[in-house]
Amino acid sequence: MADTADSSPISPDAEGSGRQNRLQRYRDLRFSEEELAVILLTPVVSFLCVVSFYPIFDTIMASLHSGYVLEMNPRQFVGLENYRSLLGDGPLLDRILNGGGFWNALRVSLIYTFVSVPIELVLGLGLALLLNREFKGKYFAQAAILFPWAIPTVINARIWAWMFNGQYGVVNDLLIRIGIFESAFPFLAKPDTALIAMLFITIWKTSSFMALILLAGLQSIPDHLYEAARMDGASRVRQFWDITLPLLKPTLLVALIFRTLPAFQAFGLPFGLTGGGPASATTTLVLFDHQLTFNRLNFGEGAATATIITLIAAAIAMIYVQTLYEPEVR
Amino acid sequence: MSHDSNSLEIERFQWVGKKVGFYGSIFIIALVSVFPILWMFITSLKQPGNIVTFPVEYIPRDPTLANYRAAFEGAPFFRYMLNSAIVATGTAILSVFLGAMAGYALSRLRFRFKLPVLLLILGTAMLPFIARLIPLFSLARSWGLLNNYLGLIIPYTAFQLPFAVWIFQAYFKELPDSLEEAGLMDGLSRIGVLFRIILPVSAPAMATAAIIVFIYAWNEFLFALTFMTEDSMRTITVGIALYQGEFQYPWGTISAAVFMSVIPLILFMLFFQRKVVEGLTATGKA
Repeated sequence: MADTADSSPISPDAEGSGRQNRLQRYRDLRFSEEELAVILLTPVVSFLCVVSFYPIFDTIMASLHSGYVLEMNPRQFVGLENYRSLLGDGPLLDRILNGGGFWNALRVSLIYTFVSVPIELVLGLGLALLLNREFKGKYFAQAAILFPWAIPTVINARIWAWMFNGQYGVVNDLLIRIGIFESAFPFLAKPDTALIAMLFITIWKTSSFMALILLAGLQSIPDHLYEAARMDGASRVRQFWDITLPLLKPTLLVALIFRTLPAFQAFGLPFGLTGGGPASATTTLVLFDHQLTFNRLNFGEGAATATIITLIAAAIAMIYVQTLYEPEVR
Repeated sequence: MSHDSNSLEIERFQWVGKKVGFYGSIFIIALVSVFPILWMFITSLKQPGNIVTFPVEYIPRDPTLANYRAAFEGAPFFRYMLNSAIVATGTAILSVFLGAMAGYALSRLRFRFKLPVLLLILGTAMLPFIARLIPLFSLARSWGLLNNYLGLIIPYTAFQLPFAVWIFQAYFKELPDSLEEAGLMDGLSRIGVLFRIILPVSAPAMATAAIIVFIYAWNEFLFALTFMTEDSMRTITVGIALYQGEFQYPWGTISAAVFMSVIPLILFMLFFQRKVVEGLTATGKA
């Protein structure tokens, strides 16, 4: 550990204080609390500055330039030109509702996020309440129920693409056996059903993640609260509304933020399931950005899209923190 | 008397009904949760000709391992898994190490600008990955980190650090002050306290952080797709996503590859799920 001391920005021994003093320090590694904090935090903060803040800054700059194809061409400052061609012109409302390209991707991402996340939250809470009870075989049930969370998103997409296959898919087979369908239906080949299938898959997968987080929250609610409520004659439903839900609020906030932002950045699922089709019906914002950047090599508009995604993500995070955060004295 | 036994009967009947309903719903939910993987397994055992039939067959006739052989011949899936394992392990170790250091400072040391630093670290979790992709790609290229494990370990660690820091600072905050006081009294330095006393009792937080970070790194796709351009350096997620057969789409081979790739995850869930929940519970209290 002696080498961490070398990187300490705060131990500038004054020339006068002498070698002895410094040696003593290195030997004992006795820092003040603040010195130690700086030593421990410097690697993390500098790491994040290089890998997280600098790239965002660079992307914003790239969105204001053209010809930025990984240094092959010199960059040219074009102001907001990339944004203008990305967002098009015409009445704003019309573009929001019917526009293609960026606007279509924005609609897909918003629908994807704000349909799937609330359903996942409710289903996840149901699963968590179920798993919060003690029963025989709980260990295996819990492993099975939490399993979808662990499957890689893009591999999951491939699995479901096979299961939803229009000719040989097991989903079609089951629906026909139950009697809901008469013949096989090409779910992923029709715009509406492709989007619905994508929503179904993400809800299936992510409800287990929600359950994981909410289960942890449920287990940290002290039992004596429920005992007291039972003694007062409160029903189970009452207990849920008056104890579980309020005490689960911080966990719900974490789960919402943890899910909304990734859902808004969905990429692997449409990439592996449909490639964004048919007719861009499942092209999410990040997939759109990816295609813009890597297929059409339009780095300027790609960076502009990424900047807009960053702004929307920041807005979502701030709205959640504002509405759900209760100031606490820590 | 008969009335009494009658109502007892009814109660007993209701009790049995409740049990059956409860276990029945648990069973159905568990089945729905594992069905896709089960289906991959079933598909992978079918004779190639029996995969593309409709109505589908639920129990493979003449089960075969031909699809597994085809998977190994068609692409270096073992190599992909090895790459994934190296990247995920490296990311987990680095994240735990840096996360514990920062988490300790943020929860147990007094210093100026603590809240801004915490918010700065957590705030990076909100930054979209796609907005960091191209600049990091340029950086990785100029530093020679493309097709290099570190090229993925470094960004993954940065992405998971906010989470790791959060886990550790929440966990450390709950430890009693007397732990440190005893250590300082015995003549340990503060760093000594961190490494000799705090870290050894933090195994649950380490396990939680390491497992979640590992699974994240194993599963990540966007950066793995972009930074590993050589086939031999691909991770398993990218390897499977990009796998194309020579002729028609090879569902049997894909199923075999998918099933092999999730075996580590199945073992992970069986052995470590309780650790994950416990660790998250400990941090939820903070």
